[in-house]
Amino acid sequence: MSVSLEAPAVGLDSLTQIASALPPTPLRAAGLEAFRRSGIPTTRHEEWKYTSLRELAETSFVAASATDVAQLDLDAWLIADGPRIVLVDGQIAPEWCRLGIPGLDVRFGDRLTPTDRERIGSVAAIDATPFSALNAACHAEAVMIELARGAVIEPAIEILHVTIAGAEAVAAFPRLFILAHSEAEATIVETYATIGEGVTFTCAVTEGTVAANAHVEHVKVQRESEQALHIALTEIRQEGDSSLNTFSVTYGGKLTRNDLNIFLNGSNLHCRMDGVVVQNGGQVCDNHTRLDHAFPHCDSFEVYKHVLDDQAMAVFNGKIFVHLDAQKTDAKQTNQAILLSPSATMNSKPQLEIFADDVKCTHGATVGQLRSDALFYLRSRGIDETQARAILVYAFAAEVLEKIECEPVRNELERLLYEKLQA
Amino acid sequence: MLQIKQLHAGVEDKPILKGIDLTVRSGEVHAIMGPNGSGKSTLANVLAGRDGYDITSGQVLFDGEELLELDPEERAHQGLFMAFQYPVEIPGVSNSYFLRAAVNAKRQARGESEMDALEFMTFIKEKIKLLHLEGDLLTRSVNEGFSGGEKKRNEIFQMAVLEPRLCVLDETDSGLDIDALKTVADGVNALRSPERGFLVITHYQRLLNYIVPDFVHILMDGRIVKSGGKELAHELEAKGYGWIEEELAAGARG
Repeated sequence: MSVSLEAPAVGLDSLTQIASALPPTPLRAAGLEAFRRSGIPTTRHEEWKYTSLRELAETSFVAASATDVAQLDLDAWLIADGPRIVLVDGQIAPEWCRLGIPGLDVRFGDRLTPTDRERIGSVAAIDATPFSALNAACHAEAVMIELARGAVIEPAIEILHVTIAGAEAVAAFPRLFILAHSEAEATIVETYATIGEGVTFTCAVTEGTVAANAHVEHVKVQRESEQALHIALTEIRQEGDSSLNTFSVTYGGKLTRNDLNIFLNGSNLHCRMDGVVVQNGGQVCDNHTRLDHAFPHCDSFEVYKHVLDDQAMAVFNGKIFVHLDAQKTDAKQTNQAILLSPSATMNSKPQLEIFADDVKCTHGATVGQLRSDALFYLRSRGIDETQARAILVYAFAAEVLEKIECEPVRNELERLLYEKLQA
Repeated sequence: MLQIKQLHAGVEDKPILKGIDLTVRSGEVHAIMGPNGSGKSTLANVLAGRDGYDITSGQVLFDGEELLELDPEERAHQGLFMAFQYPVEIPGVSNSYFLRAAVNAKRQARGESEMDALEFMTFIKEKIKLLHLEGDLLTRSVNEGFSGGEKKRNEIFQMAVLEPRLCVLDETDSGLDIDALKTVADGVNALRSPERGFLVITHYQRLLNYIVPDFVHILMDGRIVKSGGKELAHELEAKGYGWIEEELAAGARG
């Protein structure tokens, strides 16, 4: 007797139907074709070895489309008092946006220029992943965020993605392009959130370019509900003499998969890819990162830290490619996990491919429990065991958040970390 | 204040302490000296409550209460403090957060109200002044990247903040140059008081030039083999530990 392992078609069919219902554009058509070719990957696919998409494949989704957007209460999700871009169900909600800030231009719908349309899909290839293809096929509209040359925007450009859950399983497909011109400086924080109860699927693509001498901090925060499926691709091309610090923070979600790809397309670049994953219950978080060092004299630092409780499962897969011409590369990758329960699982896979011969590349991975010497030290000072553990776990994760330059964002993420660890 | 009676303890069936008897009263400074492997650090760790030691027999009373039955944090609440031989680095936890948590845990355990951030800063700044320390100590992560001297100073600082009644100093002089040694000793001397007892554990007599003890005990092979006044430390410095061994051997023959 043979057992069929093929994924059922219901999820795939419902997603292709969402795409077919939209007015055709070349981007959507190309996306749909690529998604039909790839389908929903199974765990037999090397890039999806540990993360099963069975629930996605077995659920019938409809396109999320909120009504009464103006009535929503979004205060709980907002952080900084500055420019704001709010997308509800993958579509921009102009009544919630706070724009008109000098140096920042946000375009969507009819305001997208022909050049904008050429840019969309030019950094994150349509078929980069099955889900970048699905996003291309199903996105309602792309949003272009342009930082003018030399613009310094404070405290942060805040982008809030809200999906409204309900009786039916809904899917949303936000798509952004961030265009930071030379010498621009800003923190961009993207928060993903859910309102209401029910299954949601967010399939997001954020692509962007960071031009020469620009300094960008990008913070992605996963705060969706514990019924939320979330698959996101962030792909950025960095030009010479720029710096980019990325932080990926995952507290929420039922299943979160982040692909973060950064291409260092010049010399004298600094790039940071940091992540904090705190999951409990049955939460699953899978981070795949890819960093391409293509030119000489670039530094990259990558630190991902995981705190896993109950039956939570996390994956870290970090690829670093040092191309033949990328001499004098200094790349350092670390990933660490603390398992608070015997049934929590961490799957860790550093993957360095080095073709240049004069480089410094290191990687390290640790999985373990809290250090008993530190625990005893705290207890010997009168701090009880429960609190001592909480302090050490908090400090372990907060060490990454401390590097976020934008203070209100850092403070809020530290507060949320504390709250998540209390759960 | 502290009474150790016939204390036997070891690690994994290997006996280390083989019957310690020692009494420390308020206001007294006792030094425990001994060669490597004599059980000095075991004694300190057993008193502080570190895991991994088997107490096979004996009793330790702290103010009449059974110390060995308490968790490490409860011992701290009762007023016991151990300055570590190897203070632990804790990245991501600032000294001020750590100390405030410790102070408030102790106050809570004693039914006192917790100190708010402002009260705590006023309180802690006095201690910094008392010990002539740098203000940035508070914002730095606990012991992270500290030099050997800074780590030991930080131990004494914690001692000053937690105001214990019995202080156990486990080889606080190890790895210190003479200037750092003086600073640490000055800190300890500033905390000496009629209400407070000290147990100073050391390999060398050097520290005792600066922290002058009332009593000196020599620990060898898990037993206190000789006790005396501060002059005993000088005798040890001049003659080494071999002299004691010979004396003991002679006593056994004789």
